[in-house]
Amino acid sequence: MASEARFHNLEWALYTVIFIVISSVLLGALARLFRLSGAEQRKIFWGFTFAGPWIIGFFIFVLGPALASLYYSFTDYQLGQSIEWIGLDNYRALLLGEGRQGRMFNTSMLNSFYYALLGVPLQITAALAMAMLLNNELPGIRAFRTIFYMPVILAGGPAILLAWRYMLASNGGFVNEAMRKLGDLFFVFDYLYRLFIYGTEAFNGFYIGIMRGDPLGPWKYTLPALLAGLLLFALIRGEWSEGKRVLAWRGATIIGIAVAFRLMSKGLMAQPIDPAWIYAGGAAALAGIILLAHERRGLVRLIQVVTALAALAIGALVLDRAGFDVASRESVRYLVPLGLVAAALGFSAVGPWTRRKSAVLWAVVGAFGLIALARHAPGEMGGDRLEVVARYLTFGSTIETKTDLDYLQTAFPEWLMSATWFYGLAVAVLAGIALLGDRWPRARRALSIGAAAFFGLIAAGSFLDGRAYFGAFVDLAEATGKTNYHFAMFHQALSQFPDRTRVPLWMNSELWSKPALILITMWSSGTGMLIFLAALKSVPRALYEAAEVDGANTLQRFFKITLPMISPAMFYNIVIGVIAALQTFEIIYMLQTPLTRDSLSSAAFLLYARTFSELRIGEGAAMSWILVVIILTLTALQFRYSRSWVHYEA
Amino acid sequence: MATQTQTQDINRAARLDLARLTRHGGQRLRVLLLYALLLAGAAFFLFPLVWMVGTSLKTIEEVGRSQLHLLPAEPQWRNYDKLLNEEAFYRAYANSIFIVTIVLLGTVTSVSLVAFSFSRLEWRGRNVVFALMMSTLMLPYQATLVPQYVMFHELNWLRTFNPITLPGFFAGGAALIFLLRQFMLGIPRELDEAAMIDGANPLQIWWHIIMPLSRPAVATISVFLFVGQWNNLMMPLIYLQKPALYTMPIYVAQKLNLQESPLPWQDMMAASVLFVIPVLVVFLFTQRYFIEGITTTGTKG
Repeated sequence: MASEARFHNLEWALYTVIFIVISSVLLGALARLFRLSGAEQRKIFWGFTFAGPWIIGFFIFVLGPALASLYYSFTDYQLGQSIEWIGLDNYRALLLGEGRQGRMFNTSMLNSFYYALLGVPLQITAALAMAMLLNNELPGIRAFRTIFYMPVILAGGPAILLAWRYMLASNGGFVNEAMRKLGDLFFVFDYLYRLFIYGTEAFNGFYIGIMRGDPLGPWKYTLPALLAGLLLFALIRGEWSEGKRVLAWRGATIIGIAVAFRLMSKGLMAQPIDPAWIYAGGAAALAGIILLAHERRGLVRLIQVVTALAALAIGALVLDRAGFDVASRESVRYLVPLGLVAAALGFSAVGPWTRRKSAVLWAVVGAFGLIALARHAPGEMGGDRLEVVARYLTFGSTIETKTDLDYLQTAFPEWLMSATWFYGLAVAVLAGIALLGDRWPRARRALSIGAAAFFGLIAAGSFLDGRAYFGAFVDLAEATGKTNYHFAMFHQALSQFPDRTRVPLWMNSELWSKPALILITMWSSGTGMLIFLAALKSVPRALYEAAEVDGANTLQRFFKITLPMISPAMFYNIVIGVIAALQTFEIIYMLQTPLTRDSLSSAAFLLYARTFSELRIGEGAAMSWILVVIILTLTALQFRYSRSWVHYEA
Repeated sequence: MATQTQTQDINRAARLDLARLTRHGGQRLRVLLLYALLLAGAAFFLFPLVWMVGTSLKTIEEVGRSQLHLLPAEPQWRNYDKLLNEEAFYRAYANSIFIVTIVLLGTVTSVSLVAFSFSRLEWRGRNVVFALMMSTLMLPYQATLVPQYVMFHELNWLRTFNPITLPGFFAGGAALIFLLRQFMLGIPRELDEAAMIDGANPLQIWWHIIMPLSRPAVATISVFLFVGQWNNLMMPLIYLQKPALYTMPIYVAQKLNLQESPLPWQDMMAASVLFVIPVLVVFLFTQRYFIEGITTTGTKG
C-alpha cells in the first residue's frame, strides 16, 4: 500500500518536473516575443525560464486559489454539491456570531485577543530576558544559546507536545508535582504559588465570563463608566492645555465610533432601516458642509468622505439583502435616496464654493428634510418602526432567560437599561469639556469633576452589583446547570484563597487551558530571543560607556538605551507574536481535550477542525479571508503606529 | 573559514575577559550569578526532553508512580524493541523519510533556480516579479488553503502524497528564495562573466559555478525545509486520510486517541524520542546555519 503510494508519487513528481520544465521554457519563449534586440531576447528568455517555476507556481498555488477562495466565500459551496451565490451571508454569520460556526469563530477571536493581550507580552518578556542573559560574553555561552533555542525546533512537531500534555496532567503531572515539592521546601514559594493560582483563576474566570457577553454581567456598565472615568481623570489633573483638548476630542471620537459600529453591525445588519433616515442623514451632512464650507475645508472633506462611505456601505448591504437584484422594489427604495444623496455630495465637492452653490444645496437640504419628515408623519409611525428604531438606538441586548427579563423589567424599563446611554453621556461630556476649553475654566472644571464622580460611582457600583449578581447566579447555575456558569467560576475562584490542595488544572479546566498554552509558547520563544540577541549585539558599546560616565544605573541604562535601541526588534516580535497567536495549530491539536477545545481554539485551528471535517468550503473560505484581512491589517497598523515609538538606527 | 576563526577569536577574547573579570571579587559574584541563571534557564528548556527520554525507558508500573522521578530504576530498552517491531511505526517512519526526501530535492532545486534568476541574471521585469514574490511573504497560508484542498480533490489526489510533496517543486517558500538570493548576490560577478565568455550557458553557470559556491546557503534552506517538513502535522492530517500513508507526526498524534487504561506513556514517549532524534541531530550539527538564517530572514522554518 505505502510503496504503491510512493511509486505513484514518484511518477507524478516526474510529470511535475516535465510540466515545469516545458512551461518555464514556454514562458521564456513567450517573454522573448516582446523584446526585439538579440541580446535582450536571450536575457529575457533565460530570466523567465529560470524564474518560471515560481511564476507558474504563483498562478497555480497562490493567485488562482486566492481568487477562488474569495469567490467561494460568497457561496454556500460544500464539497460534492452545487454552488450557490449567497452574498455576504457567510461573513455576516461569522462576524455577528450567528449559528454554531459564527459563535465558534467569535470564541476563537476572543481567545486570540487573550493571547495578544497576555501571551505575547509574556512571551516577549521571556525572549528579552533570555537574550539579555545570553548577551554576556562568557565561556560556553554558545552552548547555552543552542539549548535556549532548541525548544523552537521541538515545539514545531507533535512529539514534545505529547510529552507536555502528560507533564501538565493536573493530578500527578510533573509540573504540578515539582511545584508542590518546591512549596514543601520553601514556604515563601508556596504562598507565591497559591497567589499565582488565585490570580490566574480569578482573571480567567472574569475574562471568560465577560467574553460570553452576559447582558447582566458587570462589563456592560463598568466598561463605559471606566473608560469615561479614566479619560476624565486624565483631563482634570494638572493645567488645561491644547493636548488635553485633543485628548478629549479623541476620546469622544473613539467612543462615538465604537457605538456607531455596534449600532451598524447590530441594527443595520439585522434590520433594514427606513430609507427616510438616508434623507435625514444626507440633509444633516449637507447642512454641516454648507455651514463649514467657508472656514473648515478639512472638516468638510471629512464629512464628505464619511457620508460617501456610509452611503456606499448601506448600498452594498441593501443590495446584498436583495440578492443583488437592482430592479427589485426593495433595492429601488434604498438606491434612489442613496443616489440623490450621492449626487448632492458630488455637487458640493466639485468646483469652487459660490453663493449659488450654497443656495442650491440649502434647497436640497430642505427637500430632503421634508421627505424625511413626511415619511415620519405621526400617522405613519407604526409600532413596528418604533421598535426598529428603539432596537437600533440601543444595543438590542439579548436577554435569554425569562427570570432575568422579569427582574430587569421590574427594576427598569428596557430602554433605560441600555449601556448605550452611558456611552452617549460620556461622548457628550467629553465634547462639552473640549468645547468649553479655556473659555469657561470653572464650568469645565465643574463638569469634569461632576462627571468623573458620576462615572466613578457607576463603575464601582455596577461592578459591585455585578459581584452581587454572581452570588445569585451560583445558585442559578446549580439549578439550571448552565446559566452564567462562567461567572460562577469567577465567583468561586474569588471566594477563597487557595489552600494547599488546590492545583492548576491545566487541560481539565477552561480557567487553565490558556495559561498552559502560554507556558508552552514561553518555553519555545527562542526565535524572538535570537532576534533580540542580534539587536542587542548591534547596540554601540560607546553608548553604555558614556552613560556610565554620566552615572546612570543599570535600570536607567536598560530603559534609556537598550529598550529604545532594540525597539525595531521589539516591534517585529510583537507583530510576529500576534500573528502567530491567530495561527496556532499544533499546540492546540495536541493539548486540547473535549472540555478545553473551545477555550483554546484559534482561528487557524477552527478553520482546520470545521472546514476539513465537514467540508463546508464556502464558510471555510469566508473564515480564512477574515483571518487574512485581520493579519494584513495588523501588520499594516503596527507598521503605521511603530513610527511614533520605534527608533530606527540611521 | 572566516566565521570559524572569528568564533575562535571571540572565544579567546571571552576567556581573557573572564580571567580579567574574576580577578575582582564583585565581578566574580556577578559571573557566578549569571552562570546560575543560565543553568536555571537550561534546566527549564531541557527538562521536557530529559523527562521524555526518562519516561520512554520506564516500566508501565513506574509510569504510574510519581513523575518526579525523572529516570527509571532500570532502563527498559524493550520499549524500543517493541516499537521497532511494530509495522505501523516503521511504515510511518519510512513515509516521513520518503516525503522529506522528495520535498527537499524538488524544493531546493527549484528554489535555487529561481534565486539564481533573481540574483545573477539581468532581465526586464525582474524587479517587478521579485517585488511580487516578496509581497507573497505577507500573505498567510490560510488564503489558499481551502481552494487548494478543492483543487487536489478535483485532481483525485486526496489520500496520495502528491499534495504534500509536489507544490514544493514550484519553488514553494518565498522566504527561502529570498535567503538564497541574498547569498548569491554576494558571489563575485566576474565568475559568471568569465564563464559566459567561455561560452557557458546560464544552466551551466548555475550548476558548475553558483551552486557549488552557494553551499552554505543551500544547507541553510535545506535544514529549514527538513525541520519544517519533518514536523509538519497539518498538511498530512488534511490530505493523507489513510493509515497506510500516515507520517510520523500523525503517528505520534494518533496516540491521543488511545483508549487503553492505564495509558502506555512509556511506549508513546519511546515513539516520540525516535521521532525527535533526526530533528535534534540535524539541529545540533547545523545550528550555525539555523541561527544565521533566522537572523537574516526573521522567520522560523
